[in-house]
Amino acid sequence: MIMIRSIFLFLDRTYVLQNSSILSIWDMGLDLFRQHIISDKVVETRTVDGLLKLIERERNGEAVNRQLLKSLLRMLSDLNIYQTAFEKKFLDATELLYTAEGKRLVQEREVSEYLLHVDKRLAEENERLLLYLDQSTRKPLILCVEKHLLENHLKYILQKGLDQLLDENRISELTLLSNLFSHVKDGLKLLRQEFAAYIKKTGRLIVVNPSNDAEKDRDMVQQLLDFKDKIDNVIAECFGKNEKFINSMKESFESFINQRQNKPAELIAKYVDSKLRAGNKEATEEELEKLLDKILVIFRFIHGKDVFEAFYKKDLAKRLLVGKSASVDAEKSMLSKLKQGKDVFEAFYKKDLAKRLLVGKSASVDAEKSMLSKLKQECGAAFTSKLEGMFKDMELSKDISLAFRQGLQGFQHSDSIDLTVNILTQGYWPAYPVVEVHLPSEMLRFQEVFKKFYLGKHSGRKLQWQPTLGHCVLKAEFNNFKARKEIQVSLLQTLCLLLFNDMDELSFSDIRTATGIEDVELKRTLQSLACGKARVIYKIPKGKDVEDTDSFRFADDFKHKLYRIKINQIQMKETQEENASTTERVFQDRQYQVDAAVVRIMKTRKTLSHVLLISELFNQLKFPVKSPDLKKRIESLIEREYMERDKDNPNLYHYVA
Amino acid sequence: MGNSWTGVATWKWIANDDNCGICRMAFDGCCPDCKLPGDDCPLVWGQCSHVFHMHCIVKWLQSQSTNSPCPMCRQEWKWKAG
Repeated sequence: MIMIRSIFLFLDRTYVLQNSSILSIWDMGLDLFRQHIISDKVVETRTVDGLLKLIERERNGEAVNRQLLKSLLRMLSDLNIYQTAFEKKFLDATELLYTAEGKRLVQEREVSEYLLHVDKRLAEENERLLLYLDQSTRKPLILCVEKHLLENHLKYILQKGLDQLLDENRISELTLLSNLFSHVKDGLKLLRQEFAAYIKKTGRLIVVNPSNDAEKDRDMVQQLLDFKDKIDNVIAECFGKNEKFINSMKESFESFINQRQNKPAELIAKYVDSKLRAGNKEATEEELEKLLDKILVIFRFIHGKDVFEAFYKKDLAKRLLVGKSASVDAEKSMLSKLKQGKDVFEAFYKKDLAKRLLVGKSASVDAEKSMLSKLKQECGAAFTSKLEGMFKDMELSKDISLAFRQGLQGFQHSDSIDLTVNILTQGYWPAYPVVEVHLPSEMLRFQEVFKKFYLGKHSGRKLQWQPTLGHCVLKAEFNNFKARKEIQVSLLQTLCLLLFNDMDELSFSDIRTATGIEDVELKRTLQSLACGKARVIYKIPKGKDVEDTDSFRFADDFKHKLYRIKINQIQMKETQEENASTTERVFQDRQYQVDAAVVRIMKTRKTLSHVLLISELFNQLKFPVKSPDLKKRIESLIEREYMERDKDNPNLYHYVA
Repeated sequence: MGNSWTGVATWKWIANDDNCGICRMAFDGCCPDCKLPGDDCPLVWGQCSHVFHMHCIVKWLQSQSTNSPCPMCRQEWKWKAG
C-alpha cells in the first residue's frame, strides 16, 4: 500500500486534497481492505477467534508469538474496527475465564496463595496491555479482572483468610491484600469491618475471663500490649497508616476492653505496679518510659476518652449543624460518661504505690514521678493530687529523719539503732488497720523519743505507729558467732527474730505472747522465716504450714553465699482479702456519690417520679451503675428521712427538707 | 553501719471535732480553697479550745470589722501558742 501511495503521490497531493469528497489513497486503501477482506464475516470471525485463542493460550501459560498478536491488533485498530470487532469479545472472554477461575481457586487455595495469584494475574494483564493490547482497553480490562477475581469474593476471602493472616502476622500478604482491596469498590470498607471484627474477637478472648482465672488475668495486660503492638504494626506496614483503619482499631479496642467492667482498669494498675517494681532490672529508663506510654494508651481505651471524644466531637458537630440533636441535656450526659471507671484504677494504683514507696522497692522515684505526670495529663490534676501528696510525705519524712538523727548525735545510745521514720499524712494514703504489737523496750524507748521530737516540731498532731509497714536491717551471727550476716526483714519478722537473742528455742505461743502479733499474721511471719528460701530458724516438727503447737529453734548452722540477705514477708494472698477491700472501698465511695446525687436532684426538683429520678441519676453519675443499686440507695435515703414516698402514688418521691 | 530500722507512722490532727466549724469540711481534709490536706492547710487552735482550718479562721477574722470573736463561742479569738 505504501508502494501504491508512493506512485500516486502526486495525484494524492494535488487532486485529492482539493476534493474533499474523495478519500486519500491511504484511507481508501484501508477502506477497501476493510470492506473486502476483513468485513467478510468468515475472515473477521476467524481473525478474532484466532486472536482470542492465542491470548487464552498465553493466559494458560503457553508461549505465543506476541509479535503476531501485536501486528494483528495494530491492524484492527488501524482499520477502526478494534472496538467493534475485537474488544467486546475479548472482554467477554476475559470475564468468562476469570469468573470461572475466581470461583474455582478461591475455594481451592489458601487465601494467601490466592492473593498472590490475583496479583500475578493483574501483573500479566498489565504486561499484555503494554505489549500488544490497545491502551483504551486498560480500564475495562483491569476492572473486569478485579471484579471477577476479587470483588465478587471479597467477603469470602476475608472470612476465610484474614484472621489467619493476622494471627500469623504475615505482613507481606496483608500488605498485598490491602493493596488489592484498595482498587476494588467497597474493598477497604469490608476489609476494615473484618479487621475490626478480628480485633474485637481476639481482644475479647484476652479480656473476658468467665472463670476468673487469676493466671489469665495476670497476663492480660501484657497480652493486650503485645496485641496492640501487633495491630499497630499491621496498620503501619500494611494499611499505610490509613486513618480510617486507625479509627476502627481504636473503636474495636474500646469496645472489647469495656466489655468487662472495672477489672481491666484494676489489672492495668497492677501491671504498672509490677513494671515499676522491677524497674531498671528489666528495662532501661527509656524502655520503661515507652512502656508507660503504651500502657497509658490502653488505659485511655478504658475510659473511651480520646476515641470517644474523636468520634463524639465529629458526630456532635454534625448533629448540631444539621439541628438533629435530641436535646442539649442528652448531649451533656454523654460528656460525663467520658470519665467512667477511673476511680477503680486510682484506688488500686494508690495502694500499690504506697507499698512501693514504703518498702523502698520502686525502680526509681523519677520513673514514679514520670508515670504520675502522665496520669496527670490524662486525667487532670484533681485525679493525681493525692498521689502527689504521697511523694511529698516521703520527702518530708526524709528531712525529718535527718533532723532527728542530727539532734540525737552525742545523745544517749545513738549508735545502736539507725531510725528512719516515714510519716504519712493519713488523708493521702490508703487506710491501714491499726495493729498493736509489743516492741522490745529499747525500740519502744527509741520510738517514744522520735515521737516527742516530731510532736515538738508539729503540734496538734497525733502519731499512730504502723508496725505492719516498717522494716529493719538486722545483724546476726551464726556458727557460734563466726559468720556475720545482715538480714533485711519486716518489722514483724524482726520482732520474732529478736526473741532468739535470749533463747535458742521458743514455742509458737511463747512468740505470740512476747510479740503480741495476731495469730494469722504471726503464722505467716514465722513461715517466711522458717519455711522460705533462707531459713534462719527451724520449725519443729518440719512442715510447710505453721501450727499452734509448733516450736522454733534458732538455725545456728545457717549458711548463705551472700552477706546481705533479704527475707520477704510472705505476701498475704493480697489477692482476695485486700483486693476485695479495695474494690469495696471504691463501691462505697460510689454509694456516697449516688446518695449525694439523689439528694441534689431531689432538692432542686422537690417532687419526682421514680423513672425520672433514675434517668436523671444515670445522667449525673460518672461511673457505670445498675438500677437495682440505685433503688437500694433510694430506699436507704427514705429510711434516713431525706425523702419520702408519695402517700397515694408509690412511684412518686418528695424531698424532705 | 549499725542496725537500721525504718518505721512507719501516720499522723492526723488532734481535734475535738471531725469537721471545721467554718467550712464544714473534715479536718483530715482541707479547707475549700486548698487542694491538699496536711502542712499546706494546717489547723489552728484558739484559747477557747476551738479548732479551725487556719485559712478559714483568718478569713473570718478579716471579715469582722471591730472585735474578732471566735465563730463558735463568741469569745474574743486568741491564738493558742502552738
